[in-house]
Amino acid sequence: MSTDTDADAREQLIDLAEEFYEQFEDGDVPTMQIPTRTKSNIEYDEDKNVWVYGDRESTRTAKTISGAEKLLKATYTIDFLAGQLDDDRSSTLRELYYLSESWDLDEAQFNSQDESNNLIEDLEIVSEVKREDFHMRPEESGAKIMGPLLLREQTNRGDREIHCQDDVGQGGYQIPNNPDTIEFLDNDAEFVLCVETGGMRDRLVENGFDDEYDALVVHLGGQPARATRRITKRLHDELDLPVVVFADGDPWSYRIYGSVAYGSIKSAHLSEYLATPEAQYIGIQPEDIVEYDLPTDPLSDSDVNALESELEDPRFQTDYWEEQIELQLDIGKKSEQQSLASYGLDFVTDTYLPERLEEMGIL
Amino acid sequence: MTSHQSQLGGSEGIAEELAESQRSISIAEFFEKNKHMLGFDSGARGLVTAVKEAVDNALDACEEAGIAPDVYVEIQEAGDYYRLIVEDNGPGITKEQLPKVFGKLLYGSRFHKREQNRGQQGIGISAAVLYSQLTSGKPAKVTSRTQGSADAEYFELIIDTDTNEPEIDVEETTSWERPHGTRIELEMEANMRARNQLHDYIKHTAVVNPHARIELREPSEHMKYERVTDQLPEETEEIRPHPHGVELGTLIKMLDATDSYSVSGFLQGEFTRVGGKTADSVIDNFRDRHYGREMAWTPPKAHEDADVARALDAAVANKGADATAEFADRVSDALDGYERVAHHELAALVDDVADDVEEKHDTTFGSTVRENAVEAGWNAVVGAGNGVDAADDQEYERLRADLYGMIDEVTTTQKDDATIQGLADRLAPKFGDAEDHRHRFTRDEIREFVRRAADATEEYDDATFGETARENVVEIIWEAAERVPDEPPNVNEIGDDRDVSSQLMEAMRETDIISPPTDCLAPINAELIEEGLRKEYDADFFAASTRDASVHGGDPFIVEAGLAYGGDVEAEGKAEVMRFANRVPLVYQRGACATTDVVKNINWRNYNLDQPGGSGIPNGPVVIMVHIASTNVPFTSESKDAVANVPELESEIELAMREAARELKSFLKKRRSMQQRREKQDKLATILPEMAEKLTQVTGSDELDIDDTLARIMNNVLVERERDGDTVRLTIENNSDRAADVEITDIVAGSEPVLANGDASVVEMDGEWFVKWSTSVSSGDETTLEYDVGDDAEFEISVEGLESERLTIDA
Repeated sequence: MSTDTDADAREQLIDLAEEFYEQFEDGDVPTMQIPTRTKSNIEYDEDKNVWVYGDRESTRTAKTISGAEKLLKATYTIDFLAGQLDDDRSSTLRELYYLSESWDLDEAQFNSQDESNNLIEDLEIVSEVKREDFHMRPEESGAKIMGPLLLREQTNRGDREIHCQDDVGQGGYQIPNNPDTIEFLDNDAEFVLCVETGGMRDRLVENGFDDEYDALVVHLGGQPARATRRITKRLHDELDLPVVVFADGDPWSYRIYGSVAYGSIKSAHLSEYLATPEAQYIGIQPEDIVEYDLPTDPLSDSDVNALESELEDPRFQTDYWEEQIELQLDIGKKSEQQSLASYGLDFVTDTYLPERLEEMGIL
Repeated sequence: MTSHQSQLGGSEGIAEELAESQRSISIAEFFEKNKHMLGFDSGARGLVTAVKEAVDNALDACEEAGIAPDVYVEIQEAGDYYRLIVEDNGPGITKEQLPKVFGKLLYGSRFHKREQNRGQQGIGISAAVLYSQLTSGKPAKVTSRTQGSADAEYFELIIDTDTNEPEIDVEETTSWERPHGTRIELEMEANMRARNQLHDYIKHTAVVNPHARIELREPSEHMKYERVTDQLPEETEEIRPHPHGVELGTLIKMLDATDSYSVSGFLQGEFTRVGGKTADSVIDNFRDRHYGREMAWTPPKAHEDADVARALDAAVANKGADATAEFADRVSDALDGYERVAHHELAALVDDVADDVEEKHDTTFGSTVRENAVEAGWNAVVGAGNGVDAADDQEYERLRADLYGMIDEVTTTQKDDATIQGLADRLAPKFGDAEDHRHRFTRDEIREFVRRAADATEEYDDATFGETARENVVEIIWEAAERVPDEPPNVNEIGDDRDVSSQLMEAMRETDIISPPTDCLAPINAELIEEGLRKEYDADFFAASTRDASVHGGDPFIVEAGLAYGGDVEAEGKAEVMRFANRVPLVYQRGACATTDVVKNINWRNYNLDQPGGSGIPNGPVVIMVHIASTNVPFTSESKDAVANVPELESEIELAMREAARELKSFLKKRRSMQQRREKQDKLATILPEMAEKLTQVTGSDELDIDDTLARIMNNVLVERERDGDTVRLTIENNSDRAADVEITDIVAGSEPVLANGDASVVEMDGEWFVKWSTSVSSGDETTLEYDVGDDAEFEISVEGLESERLTIDA
C-alpha cells in the first residue's frame, strides 16, 4: 500500500542522503544543522499560534568522532527507512533500536533507545517528514476515544467504518498510530474533553457523560502520544469542536495541557501539526481547590520547582496561567481529579464539569 | 673512678702490661674488619666489587694513555672457587711498578690528586687481590705488556699481610698476543647470586663509556657492548685545592709542607684561583681575625679643651721652642684632616712630621720623644690621662660623644635618647679602660663590650636592646675601626699554632673567591649520554643534559642527566634509575643515594609520567640516568655505593633531571596529541568510508572518494593533483592551525616536464625528472604548483617536512 505520502517521504530521505553524498564529493565535511531543542530556543509563531523552534541551531559534523558516528547512524537509518517504505512495512522506535544491532558496523549501532528516538526526531526535522510517514510508530499505542463520532480508518485489512460509541466496547475506539489514516464521516459532538487519567475517563464513561453532553472523551494517558495530540487537533480543526483538557491540579498536569495546546519542546517542529492552541484548561485549577474546598496534598519541593520553571516557560506566560500558578504557590497545595469524589461519585459529571463548561461558555 | 685511678697510680707495671697487648694491626686484619666498607662483605658482592675495581682500573689506565678501551671480563667456575679474569688494552705497567699496583694497599697516585678519576683511594684493585688471597689462598696472576716491548711480564704475587708489601712467587717473561695491556686473574670464594648487579654494572658501564668496548663472559651468559664513538673523554687537569674546600687538618699539613715563607706566597702557590689580589683579601681578613682592628676616634678640633697641639707641646722636651711648636702644630693640623684616627695612624703621622721637623730644624726626635708624643696625642684623642682629671661622669667625654653618634646612626628612631646615651656612656669606659691602650680589639671583643654595655643598659635604664640592634652597633664600630698595618705571621708561625691556622682557614672561607676551574672534570656530555643510552636501549625518545660546573666544599662537580622513554624499555613497573659517579655505575645501596632521593622527590606528573601518589620513582617505560663528575664525589661510605645528601649536589641533580625531563614532556605531549590524532583518524577512517558506501548505496550514485574530506577533517595538509590538458597542478591546502613548510618532489617519468612555476628545480636522472619545490603554506591557505608535461607522463609524488599524521596525499 505504497502511497504518495510514502513516496514523498522516501524522496525526502534520499535527498538528505544525497546532501551528504555531495558534501563528500566536494571534499567538504558532511554536516547536518538541527535546531537546538531546548526551552530557551522555542518561540511563539504569531501566524500559526503555536510554539516553534527559534533560530539557534546545533551542528552535527563529521569532524568529530561523535558527530561522525551520528551521521553514520543517520545514514544507516535513512537506508533502513527507505527500505521500509519500499517494502511498505512499519516498525516501532524500539524495534529500530534493536534492529541496529544487526548492522554489521559496530559504530553504526545505537547505544540507547534515546539515541535512536532522537535520531528519528532529527530526521523528521531535517527532512520535514513526520515519523509516521517514515512508518515509525511509538511502542505505546495512541489514546482511546469515546463519543458520538463516525469515522473511517484505513487499516492493513481494508477500510473500516467505526462509530465511536456504537461500534466499540467500554474501552472506546483505539486511535491508530497514524491518525491521518482516519477520515471523519459524521458526528453529533459538542466538544472534545481530553482526560488525563484512565480512572477519570472510566468514571465519565460509566456515568454516561459522553452520551449526556455529546462529548468526545479522549483519554490522554499521561503525557499524550503524538497520535492523541494529532487526532485532538484534527477534531478541533476539521469538526470545529472546542477542546478542553481535564487533568490533575498539579504542575505536571499543566504540562500535559501545555503539550496539547502549545506543543512540546521536543516536537516543536511539528507544533503546527500537533498543537491545538485553542484548547482550554478546564481543571483541576488551583482556583477550584479553593472554591470547591477539595482534599489536597502539600506541594513537594519538586512541585514548587516545576511551577517556578513553568512561570519561566514562554508557553505559560499568559495572564491566566501566571495567576493560577501564583495562586497555587501561594496556597502550597495540589489536588487530583479523583479528589472530586469526596463529594460523591457523580459530583464530577453532575456538578463540577457542567459548571466549569458553562463558565467557559462551552455549554 | 677514683679507686681505679689510684690503682693505676699505684702500680708502675700497668703501662708495660698494656703495651704488651698492643701491636700494630696487620693490613689483613684491617681488611677483615673493614671489608663491608670496601664492598667485600659477601661472596656475591665481593665478585661484583672485584670486577668493578678491575674494570675501573682498566678504563682509567686506557684513558690516561689515550687509548680507546677494550675491556674483557671473564668469570669461570674453578672448583670451589670462581676465577675472575680482566684484560685491557691499556699501556701496561712497568715491571717495577706492577707488584706495587696490585700488591700494596693504599698505593696509587690518586689520593692526593684533585682530579676526576674513577678510583680515588688506591684501595680498589689491591683489596680485590687481598680478598682473593684471603678466601682462596691463591696468588694473583698478572700479565702486563707495555707498548713496544717484545714480551710480556708475568707475575704471581700475594700481599704480605704483615708488612703490606707484595710478595712475588713467580716472575717470568712470557708472550702475549695483545700488543700492550694488562691482564689480571684472581681466584676467590664467590657466587653468582649478584648476577643482576653484575650485568647492570657492565651494561651501565657501557652506557657511560660509549668510547669503550666491553665484553663479559660468565658461566651462563655472554654480553658484548660495542664502542659507538672514538672520542675519548677529555683529559682532565689536576687542580690544586680550592680555598673554600680545605679542612683544618689538611691546611695545617699544607702549611707544614709548603716551601713558601709568606702567607701570600703560600696561598698563591698551593691553592687554585688565588692570585695576589685574592691573597691580599684573605690576608686582610686573616689580620682582622688575628690582630683585631684599632679603634679610630674623632680627633679633637682646635677649639676643644683637649688640645692636641698643647699636649704634644708638653710632651716634647728639649727640642727647641720653634721645632717643638712647629711639630705640635703640624701634627695637630694634620689631625684636623682626619675624620677619625687610629693609634697606628697617629704614630705614622707623628713619625712623618718628626722626620720632617728633624731635617728642617736640624734636631733629633728620638724614639722616646716620638713615643711620648704619640702617647700624649693619643690621650688627647681619646680624652684620657695626662693630667686631665675629669669627674666620673665626664670621663671619656670624647669617646662617649663619638659612640653616641655611631649608635644613634644605626638604631631605630624608637630608641629614645636616654637609652642611646646610656649605652654610649657604658661603652666608652670599656674602650677607655682597656688594657690595650692602642684600642686594638677583635670583633669578638667589641661584641662582648657591646653585650655587657647593652645588658647593663637594659637592666638599669629599663630599656630594651635586641640582638639585631646590638649587632648593628658592633658592625658600625667594627667598620669605624681601622685594619692594622702589621705584617701577618709567616707560614711556620701559623702552622705551629692551631688557633692561628684556624683563623687563616676562616679568613679563606670568608673571602669571595671564584669557583675552581672545571677542566679537572670530564663530563660525558649530553650528546654522548644520548648516544650511550641509544646504544643500550631501543627507546622512542632520548634526552640528556649537562649542567655547568658547581662547587661543593672546594671540589668542583658537574651533574648530567639522561632519559630514555618508550620503545622496548620495560613498561611494567617502576622506571630504571642508573646512577654514576665519575663514569662508574653505582649498583648497590640505591635507597641510600642522594640521586634516588632526588628522583623520588620530583613531581614526574608534571612531565606527563605516571607517578602514583605524586612522589617516588615514576612508573612506565623510562630509564633515568644521572652522572656526577667531581674531583671528590661525596660518597656515604668507602665502598662508594651511594652519593651523600649534599644540598648543592642534590640541587644540581634536580636541575639536570628537570632539564632533560622538560624535553621528555614536550615529546610526550606531542606524542599524545599525535596519538589522539591517529586514533581519531583511525576511527574516522572506519566510519566515513562506511558512511560513504552506505550513501552510494542509498542514493544509487557512483563510488565516492572521501580523502579530501578526511584531510579537511583531520586538519591535515592536503596535496592534490589535477590534470588539465598538458598542465599538471598540485594544490597544497593547509587545513591545520599552523604553517606547513613542505618540500614537494614530483617524479615524472615518460615525458619531460616544462614550465614549472615558483622556485621549482627540475633534475633529470635515469629518464626520470625530479621536479622539486620548497614552499610554505600558512594556516588555512592554499598554494598551487604547476608545470606542463606530455600525456603519457607518469607521476610519483613525495612530500617532505610533515609528519605523516598531518599529511594527506591525493596525487
